[in-house]
Amino acid sequence: MSTNASGPLLRVERLRTWFPINRGLMRRAVGHVQAVTDVHLSVEAGRTLALVGESGCGKTTVGRSILRLEQAQAGRVIFDGVDLLELDAAAMRPYRQRLQIVFQDPLASLNPRMRVRDIVAEGMRSFGIGSDESDRTDRVAHLFERVQLDAAQMWRYPHEFSGGQRQRICIARALAVDPQLIICDEAVSALDVSIQAQILNLLRELQDELGLAYLFITHDLGVVRYLAHDVAVMYLGQIVESGPTAQIFESPSHPYTQGLLQAVPSVDPQRRGGAPPLSGDVPSPSAPPGGCYFHTRCPLVMDRCRSEPPPVASQGAVSARCFLAPGSGSE
Amino acid sequence: MSRLLSVEGLTTRFPLAGVHVPIVDESTFAIDRGEVLALVGESGCGKSMTALSIMRLVPKPGRIHSGRVELLGRDLLGLSVTEMRAVRGGRISMIFQEPMTSLNPVMRCGDQVVEAIRLHDEVSRKDALARCRELFVQVGIPDPDARLRAYPHQLSGGLKQRVMIAMALSTRPELLIADEPTTALDVTIQAQILRQLLELRREIGMSILLITHDLGIVNELADRVAVMYAGRIIEQGERTDVLGRALHPYTQGLLRSMPALATPGRRLPEIPGVVPSPAEWPMGCRFATRCQLAEDRCRREVPGATARSDNHVASCHAVEEGRAQAPAGGEPEGAAR
Ligand SMILES: Nc1ncnc2c1ncn2[C@@H]1O[C@H](COP(=O)(O)OP(=O)(O)OP(=O)(O)O)[C@@H](O)[C@H]1O
Ligand SMILES: Nc1ncnc2c1ncn2[C@@H]1O[C@H](COP(=O)(O)OP(=O)(O)OP(=O)(O)O)[C@@H](O)[C@H]1O
Ligand code: SF4
Ligand SMILES: [Mg+2]
Ligand SMILES: [Mg+2]
Repeated sequence: MSTNASGPLLRVERLRTWFPINRGLMRRAVGHVQAVTDVHLSVEAGRTLALVGESGCGKTTVGRSILRLEQAQAGRVIFDGVDLLELDAAAMRPYRQRLQIVFQDPLASLNPRMRVRDIVAEGMRSFGIGSDESDRTDRVAHLFERVQLDAAQMWRYPHEFSGGQRQRICIARALAVDPQLIICDEAVSALDVSIQAQILNLLRELQDELGLAYLFITHDLGVVRYLAHDVAVMYLGQIVESGPTAQIFESPSHPYTQGLLQAVPSVDPQRRGGAPPLSGDVPSPSAPPGGCYFHTRCPLVMDRCRSEPPPVASQGAVSARCFLAPGSGSE
Repeated sequence: MSRLLSVEGLTTRFPLAGVHVPIVDESTFAIDRGEVLALVGESGCGKSMTALSIMRLVPKPGRIHSGRVELLGRDLLGLSVTEMRAVRGGRISMIFQEPMTSLNPVMRCGDQVVEAIRLHDEVSRKDALARCRELFVQVGIPDPDARLRAYPHQLSGGLKQRVMIAMALSTRPELLIADEPTTALDVTIQAQILRQLLELRREIGMSILLITHDLGIVNELADRVAVMYAGRIIEQGERTDVLGRALHPYTQGLLRSMPALATPGRRLPEIPGVVPSPAEWPMGCRFATRCQLAEDRCRREVPGATARSDNHVASCHAVEEGRAQAPAGGEPEGAAR
């Protein structure tokens, strides 16, 4: 954890968000999708934490639980010293400005009947930003320029834009209310590399200028290596490894992180068909395996991994949930 | 190899501010049986619209204006609506860019795939369901039985994407159009799906039109690459040529801005300037407003295709005049892992 006197801007502790599985006439809960089981993370002001991991491992649910768009059953979400999970709706309201999210599915998060100018200006109006409507229009135009969209197109509807353009509209909407932290859920995944470069440079500039913090959910490890100060790797609802980006890319401790880094397709035209992908069954989040959650796919699996959950081992700034990780005392 | 699809002079226009703008402008390319062609380019350049034009699913008020789209010698643009419906989901199927837009929110995932299968094949519901379950396993959906019963909103982004992929593969198409098929997937699952696609291509000779902005995936999967900018294909060739010895200044800029090749903490190299919106496309080369090599002629005249070899062409005056920069590519300094 941070030793910073003022503490991190966002600290998530022991977060748990499970979805009930209802069956039958009475819609009784017959089990749970254990989307997020035990998540700890912290993001300092002015820094970027990347949250990476398997599709379906719970990344989006973490982001949505922080903003209370999903109801967490346990844990704490401490933002600037206040536990958001304890607040009532009225007390939560100012935090809906200070924390923004760029949703993973841009089309689904944009009201199809609103012009994009109004979509971007909506938050400004409700938080009293901008003196009047024409001032807000100017601000929208300025935001459009910053995310490389043509300001003349702000009077169009969401369906008239391409996938990547819609993603940038969502980024503009998040920036519009001057937040302190933005949760970016696959926010640049639909962008080709040249626009991606512009947006990533923009996010970095804003961070330098305004001290913005990002929780950056992505599966693009090239982006992570380039942008994030720290990384948290998630597998089946748990953080399995976390620490400074450079260190984790240099020497990943957890076998899942190792598999992830090896699976990145090379851009070298002289090579392809890299390491074989991880094999083994991808377990279900409604019935996670006993012992280490990763043991069904781990190339280094040992007997005890099948029965005993590994502790979180720490060495320096890196923590990993694996018997073989440095610092676990059993490597 | 025999020709499966050939697209010639395809032009799709949208009325924008009173003018008919060619969002897809004179596109020409071909795909052989068993071949993977990657279509890459700037966000908004018309990749999805190219795919939708081939499927004849261009949204209103857009319209295919001219050109030919031949599948095994038959012009799809001349088919009746019913004939076209049989082609779609039969010989050609498509994975759409935004999975939510093509999954029915009030229908269970399994039922949707079963319906798709039974629309084209006369099989019993039970057999269709078995095939569907098998596909779910092949695309790496954990706990397939529960997912057959799930509604789309109960699935993560990546699971929805895999349901879409399963649905597209369920009819064993000859041509698969995959629009950003793995954007929501982590690399380990992505690797599994790419292998699955290559497997099917070997097994049934499926061809793939792959739309992606991930040049790593292009490198893994594609045989040939076409690069699009502002509605036009500006470079086309073998994978090793386009990625390794790119000719067009835009392609070269694209390759340079890959985060995988950048130094952390340093600014990413950008292509300066903004993509012009379709209503403001310059009359000559559409890249001229952002190109460091642009001269007067570039701003006036549309560049024709210059062939560097039989299989590698680029539309650029600088390339034609021999004043283009040395071919650039993803030759990595420490890039490959
Ligand atoms: N509303 C819901 N009801 C039931 N299950 C849900 C719901 N939302 C998510 N889930 C399940 O919770 C798990 C985690 O989903 P989440 O969307 O957080 O994953 P993710 O890590 O963001 O994945 P991706 O990278 O594919 O977007 C998945 O198994 C998903 O199917
Ligand atoms: N319904 C529509 N009406 C008007 N213009 C549209 C419509 N749909 C798309 N466009 C425009 O057509 C152009 C091409 O869109 P297309 O979806 O083909 O882009 P793309 O290359 O797939 O981009 P991306 O990588 O962002 O998905 C864009 O500039 C977009 O704004
Ligand atoms: S034609 Fe001219 S402007 Fe266009 S890419 Fe070539 S050099 Fe640049
Ligand atoms: Mg997600
Ligand atoms: Mg698209």
